[in-house]
Amino acid sequence: MRWKQFFTPAKSIDAAEAKAFMAERSQDDFNLIDVRQLKEYEASHIPGSKLIPIADLDKRLDEIDPSKRP
Amino acid sequence: MLSGKGFDNVINVKGGIKAWDGHVAVGTEELGLELLTGKESLEETLVVAYSLEAGLRDFYLSMIEKVQQPDIQNLFQKLAEIETLHQNRIFDEYLQASGKKVSREDFENDLVVNAVEGGLTTDEYVQMFQPDWESSVDIISLAMSIEAQALDMYTRASERSADPRSKDALNKIAEEERGHLEQLGKLMNDRM
Repeated sequence: MRWKQFFTPAKSIDAAEAKAFMAERSQDDFNLIDVRQLKEYEASHIPGSKLIPIADLDKRLDEIDPSKRP
Repeated sequence: MLSGKGFDNVINVKGGIKAWDGHVAVGTEELGLELLTGKESLEETLVVAYSLEAGLRDFYLSMIEKVQQPDIQNLFQKLAEIETLHQNRIFDEYLQASGKKVSREDFENDLVVNAVEGGLTTDEYVQMFQPDWESSVDIISLAMSIEAQALDMYTRASERSADPRSKDALNKIAEEERGHLEQLGKLMNDRM
């Protein structure tokens, strides 16, 4: 099975870049979404991140503010 | 998934929480990817969908050989069987949408093969994620990332379809993919 045709990568940054990104901005300037499961989130998560499990994401988009544009 | 919903500046943190916590980064690097451009016809969408279901089935069957826990093996076997049912439905929709009288064999040999040329193999795709095969959480996370992409594609394909019957069919597949995701999520929670 070949997959590549399905997948066009979204922009990615590593953890160090993410930390710098957040340090340079106010929390009000971006949405930080954690799409894992509840127990994963409870075990460890980035401070300020909002939990929306991936299976729920497309039905809970109204909880994410699209006007935040870093 | 967000990229297709009006959020035009979506950034993925590579390696997820493991990288954040300073551990070795694995998995879910490609989460949130686009599957279709939005310009495909219904027929083309169904061909892609059929190919994706074949890929998912192939993926789940390959997982059975890699995991040790019987309950996860059973889960992957069940998911593979469900993908086969999806393929059956998509093929029927394709026949209705195209008006063509093509055999399943010809469909798979011609259309689907042509639709998926030039990409990564399933093994290469798994290599990209590099899950820890002893970690059920890693394996389930990989499966969830693929199911999420499938859900995303079917949801958007459904929204785009002008034919109510096709829209319903695609929406139904999307809901079934959501069921897979929820099932995998529960399994993940049970493992935590």
